[in-house]
Amino acid sequence: MGLFVKDKPSAVSGAGQHGDNETSFFGAKLTVKGKVSGGGNLIVMGTLEGEFDLNGELVVAPSALVNGEVKAVNVTVSGGFSGSLTAKQKIHLEKSSVVSGRLIAPKLSVADGAVLNGEIEMKKSSESKPAANDPTQKEKK
Amino acid sequence: MVKDVTSGSTSLVSRPMVVEGEISGDESLHVDGRVKGIIRLKGDLFVGVSGIVEAEIDARNVVIQGTITGKVLARRQLEVQPSGRFNGECTAASYEIREGAVFEGVSRMISSSKPQNGSASVSSEQDSKRQT
Repeated sequence: MGLFVKDKPSAVSGAGQHGDNETSFFGAKLTVKGKVSGGGNLIVMGTLEGEFDLNGELVVAPSALVNGEVKAVNVTVSGGFSGSLTAKQKIHLEKSSVVSGRLIAPKLSVADGAVLNGEIEMKKSSESKPAANDPTQKEKK
Repeated sequence: MVKDVTSGSTSLVSRPMVVEGEISGDESLHVDGRVKGIIRLKGDLFVGVSGIVEAEIDARNVVIQGTITGKVLARRQLEVQPSGRFNGECTAASYEIREGAVFEGVSRMISSSKPQNGSASVSSEQDSKRQT
């Protein structure tokens, strides 16, 4: 992507260090409220509240607190999470994680020591086929 | 993946990422993606070439290589680099606008002699529309 770096270092320390990195990073002292969407991976160490729709991997670090509705391809939680968590592929809960809410993923792994309160729904990865013949998608009334 | 995070105090919104809402905190932020809403930082805001920010901004230094539209309070300095575009209203203690940069809108200075900041300490006001 070729970040435009000036010969004189700018006032911002560390500017330009991130180069071609497409992983976003929200530090421990940062609070983000609202809607986050797009591609790339996201590492969260701070507080996040809202709606997240990511076309990549979400890592919730031990110091992080995430509250809201999250959709991503892969999710690894080491910190706190409450809300609804949907992964296209896999959710992993580390032993330091404290999770409450609803988890939806075709694959789930939980480490010994993780705190998990809530509802789990596991469906086969339906992204390759349309939902027409997917029994898990149908709920007749 | 987590290892290059040791710089600690600079968060990053990467190019494919879109944030709508409020970002606040004690650290610096580098935006290569899009941010819409409110940004309040104790640290610096750096908008990279691909970064597009439409927001009400309060930060220490603001450096623009991409685009900022909105109302900015830069407690120390606003810097618009040659590839940068600024559109809106800015209050800063000092400005650095490079040749080739676009600054359209209103600039106000924070008086450095007075300890207070904000609109009460505005020492001069000028309208500027510059396109080089």
